Amino acid sequence: MRQYETGFVLSPALSEEETSQFVQQMAEIIAQKKGRMVKQDVWGKRRLAFPIKRFQEGVYVFFTYEGGGDVSVELERRFKQTDAVIRFMTVLKDPRDLARRKKKRRAEEAAKAPEPAAAETAAAAEAKEEK
Amino acid sequence: MPRDERPERGERSERGGYRKYFAPKRKFCRFCQRDIRGIDYKAVEILKKYIPDRGRITPRRITGTCAFHQRKLALAIKRARLMALLPYVED
Repeated sequence: MRQYETGFVLSPALSEEETSQFVQQMAEIIAQKKGRMVKQDVWGKRRLAFPIKRFQEGVYVFFTYEGGGDVSVELERRFKQTDAVIRFMTVLKDPRDLARRKKKRRAEEAAKAPEPAAAETAAAAEAKEEK
Repeated sequence: MPRDERPERGERSERGGYRKYFAPKRKFCRFCQRDIRGIDYKAVEILKKYIPDRGRITPRRITGTCAFHQRKLALAIKRARLMALLPYVED
């Protein structure tokens, strides 16, 4: 499974309700296409570096998900259909980067794990001594 | 002391101005320093440092970024521009 990241900018003209509803709909598509959502990031309204379709700001949303290529194809098809999306982009996450991050996390966990155990035994030993 | 007697290196002494007296500050890659591999296009604050006033990508010879990271940086900036996080041109 590959990990993708799709970011899209929603029109600021939408109400908050419509925005969250649209985001939810898109999230459901990922589930439909048997993808797994890893991270859903909503930045909220943010000023654009340059006007797009005469809008000066936009609502930034980023999805990170695992799945086949059909997920991003379907998402982008929907984006093209709706006027609410003013910009979108899908990038493939570097698999080497992910592996590295996983390794790092594992190393950190390994470093952390023995510590509490040692602390517990030390605490237990102290408790015994006190008794 | 042969080392002290030796005159300043030819190329340096020929240069005019302050360069005759001060060696330029050594540049280094700030991404290598922090052991960062991938550069995310969403990290706007980092990318902004590499696009001064005009919004152009600063060349490697000025920032001292290594070739590997300059490639990643350029890609990240271009992606950020597409998403309107960074400007294409600024005046």
